[in-house]
Amino acid sequence: MMDSGFDRRDFLKVLGWGGAAVALSGCGNTSIEDGRETVVSYSEPADYVIPSIGVYYNSTCAQCDAGCSINGRVREGRVLKLEGNPASTINRGKMCGLGQAGVQHHYNPDRVREPLLRKGDAGETITWEKAYALIAEKMNGVSGEEVAFLSGGVSGHLKVLLGNYLDSFGCKNHFVYEAVAPGVMRAANKKSYGVAMPRYSINKAKVVLSFGADFLGSWVSPVHFSQQYAQFRKGVDGQRGVLIQVESKMTLTGANADRWVAVRPGTEGILALGIINALGTATGDIAAAVKEYDRVRVSKETGVTPGQIDKIAALLKLRSPSLVLAGSAAEGYAHGSQNAAAINLLNHVLGNIGKTVEACESVPFPQMAPATGNTAALKSLSDGLAAGKYKVLFSYAANPVFTAPGAMKFKESMAKAGFKVAFAHYMDETALQADLVLPLDSALEDWGTQVPEYLATCAQVNIQQPLMERLHANTRGMGDILLALLKQRRAEEYKGYEDYYAYLRGALLKNKGALGGANVDDDTFWNETLTRGLIKLEGPVGALSAKANAAGLKLPAPAEGDAQYPLHLIPGVTASLRDGRHTNQPWLQESPDPLTTIVWDSWVEIHPKKAAELHIVEGDIVEITSKTGSIKAQAYLFPGIHPEAISVPLGRGHEAMGRYAKGYGVNPFQIMDAVYDNETGELAMHETRVRISKTGQRVIVVKDEGSAGGSQAGKKIAVRVSTDDVDLSEEV
Amino acid sequence: MHRFLRLSVLLMGLFSAVSSYATDAPQSAPMTPDSLGPLVEQPIEFPHNRHAKDMQIDCMYCHTYARRSAVAGIPPLRKCIGCHQSIETVRETPRIKKLFEYWEGSKDGKIAAKTPVPWKKVHDLPDFVRFNHERHIKRFIEQQNRPTQEACGYCHGDVKEMTVARRSKALSMGWCAGCHEKDHPVTAEGGTPIGNQAYWYSFQKPVANASGSAIKAKGPNDCWQCHK
Repeated sequence: MMDSGFDRRDFLKVLGWGGAAVALSGCGNTSIEDGRETVVSYSEPADYVIPSIGVYYNSTCAQCDAGCSINGRVREGRVLKLEGNPASTINRGKMCGLGQAGVQHHYNPDRVREPLLRKGDAGETITWEKAYALIAEKMNGVSGEEVAFLSGGVSGHLKVLLGNYLDSFGCKNHFVYEAVAPGVMRAANKKSYGVAMPRYSINKAKVVLSFGADFLGSWVSPVHFSQQYAQFRKGVDGQRGVLIQVESKMTLTGANADRWVAVRPGTEGILALGIINALGTATGDIAAAVKEYDRVRVSKETGVTPGQIDKIAALLKLRSPSLVLAGSAAEGYAHGSQNAAAINLLNHVLGNIGKTVEACESVPFPQMAPATGNTAALKSLSDGLAAGKYKVLFSYAANPVFTAPGAMKFKESMAKAGFKVAFAHYMDETALQADLVLPLDSALEDWGTQVPEYLATCAQVNIQQPLMERLHANTRGMGDILLALLKQRRAEEYKGYEDYYAYLRGALLKNKGALGGANVDDDTFWNETLTRGLIKLEGPVGALSAKANAAGLKLPAPAEGDAQYPLHLIPGVTASLRDGRHTNQPWLQESPDPLTTIVWDSWVEIHPKKAAELHIVEGDIVEITSKTGSIKAQAYLFPGIHPEAISVPLGRGHEAMGRYAKGYGVNPFQIMDAVYDNETGELAMHETRVRISKTGQRVIVVKDEGSAGGSQAGKKIAVRVSTDDVDLSEEV
Repeated sequence: MHRFLRLSVLLMGLFSAVSSYATDAPQSAPMTPDSLGPLVEQPIEFPHNRHAKDMQIDCMYCHTYARRSAVAGIPPLRKCIGCHQSIETVRETPRIKKLFEYWEGSKDGKIAAKTPVPWKKVHDLPDFVRFNHERHIKRFIEQQNRPTQEACGYCHGDVKEMTVARRSKALSMGWCAGCHEKDHPVTAEGGTPIGNQAYWYSFQKPVANASGSAIKAKGPNDCWQCHK
């Protein structure tokens, strides 16, 4: 306490007078600026353009790959607000927070605005003509094998153009890399069900048993599943659906579950087999496969009590159909495919195939179907780069320098490529390593088509159209760039297309008949398609294999404790930041994490018991060390995590990208070990083992919840009871 | 010692308040019905008198957005050209030549073709005020059938006597209240009780009519009607 005479009363007095002073000077019409502001009129407006009245355009959200259709309000030529397009069967007029932030991607002050050529450590602004000429020059005399094209998930006509471009010089090195993608699930589903992405009907299920699938937050198509979930909760035949979530770190979906079961990391498959055993309905080789997984053994290995297993099995027996989902938390291990296979087997045993797991239609143009990928692709690219195989490297819609596991040392491999071209929205970590950076239009300025990987009820081609004119004169659409590059190679074939718009229009009109426009003229078809923002199609239906197969199912015993690195590191995939590609949108940084309410920073979730053991309290800066590296972040005591695990959210810890991303939090990708799934080669994100130590520093955690956190200070505000004490008949 | 220090802090505060108020001094008193705004130099000296008085053109022929939208907007360039390309008699006058430079581009290349004329804003409201043109036009012109020039003139003054427009009303809140109080008295019962502040400006002063029952007005009776 200060011991001067300037006490609280004096302070308030000064504050009061100061306030009065500000108020006084604020009086009057000081903000009217007659004759100083310019008011710009239109020169030739369309008839429907009236100042202050909004015009609405349909397009497609590009914030993630779910393919929600959006409807943007445009006023005076500026896009202001996005909403969902009700015509889409995927999002049916709804939208998520990540999608809402799309306008901040568009108006972002840190977007790259000019083509940049490396000059030492800085970028020199060059013209597009020079950039194209430079690419032509560098590609001259380079064979197809010496060029690599790295991209995120691409679909639609962009994928076709990209394929044609790579074909034009005989390049087969298209590496599709998605940092956070259900790579293991696709492969496991293909084996179990015969299709990579079946249609899940949460709304038809009476029980959903989810093994770490965060379908309300970040898994596959969250907006679609959230609506299904709402129907599921209302219930089929008046019976409210019951959600059981099995995972080691509570996700948003886990927080909504009736029963949240903490499982020892990596033993999800064992629990699934234990449940099959407890059900006792399996026959033949499945019964043989689960024979040894009795409740005592399973309980010992997974840490789930026998009582819990019995309750889950009883509930699944009682109510049918049910739905069992395998999510990234179960799949992020070296035996991830095995875990997923065991979990999928449950759907077979419970007879859910054809009821809640159904065959889905696919878009009848296979060349437009989304190209999907995983870290296995990045690994082979990284190996190739390290071996000096590639003279030219293109990178689009991926930021591997940020998202590659630290042990892969991608940045070092990338440096060995001869000439690196990055198509970028921001100067992110990968663009910083490039020799030539080409600025892209935002998704709200660009043309395109998109085919979602997860199709809801019918095949659908999404249309992306500009909601407004370019903000910056020198950005270009990816389609336009590819077309310009193709003209360097196959001028004759592409000379008819002035730009990507012309190409897109031509391509869609050519297939007008197949796209449901057989009886209308070109202009009508085109205008109606743009107005709707999507094309619904009848597509071929994939065949589900109804036959269960337990052959080859071999789950390893739970991993032994590691004395040096005793804890599992679980990377948290949050609904808003995902793999960190949108971290520079401040709304996403500012919106509190749904479970911890922390903003603008990373944190380490640690179980209160474990924290007490290590003498860690909230706000302690702890160092997390793996074999690969170490990071430091603030501790957050969280009961929703297995005591043998800690969790750090992905997406933060950028060293570049922009003012809202750079320097906030830490990047757990950096300390991930290079462990891969045995079957698919996907990165085993949950396999990294760490140890944790206090650094001695302590900070105040910036979060929305009060200082008491989850503690109710004995006031019984929300009464809770352990799930073991709940009688099943009362519970459901 | 501290007491002295404190006093000086207070005096400094007061002084800065008064001086910042004084620097804004050459502004109109908020309550006077007529107060002329500054003379504004426009890129083209647009003769409102020729159009509105001599030619008898309705205000809304050019200011077409006013009846459709909250903001009146500025007539698009195409509107000017639409008429003037077929009025040969004034085609070579300096102002019309200048106008066509914006449409066709100037010979020295300084103005590109179809550049909107950079007019200066004459009637400006603070950003926290939403005035709705459409509602006022609906009421006065469409419902009460008053002449357009009279209705627009309530706020914009006698524009037909001006060349370039000049603000001639205060456009302050007290000035708005001047009309709304006179013509649309509001009852406390009819409106939303919003505390004393609205009473300062008489927006909500209960007024009884001859029969003793209060009149419910159509004017704004809640802060957010204008401050949203």
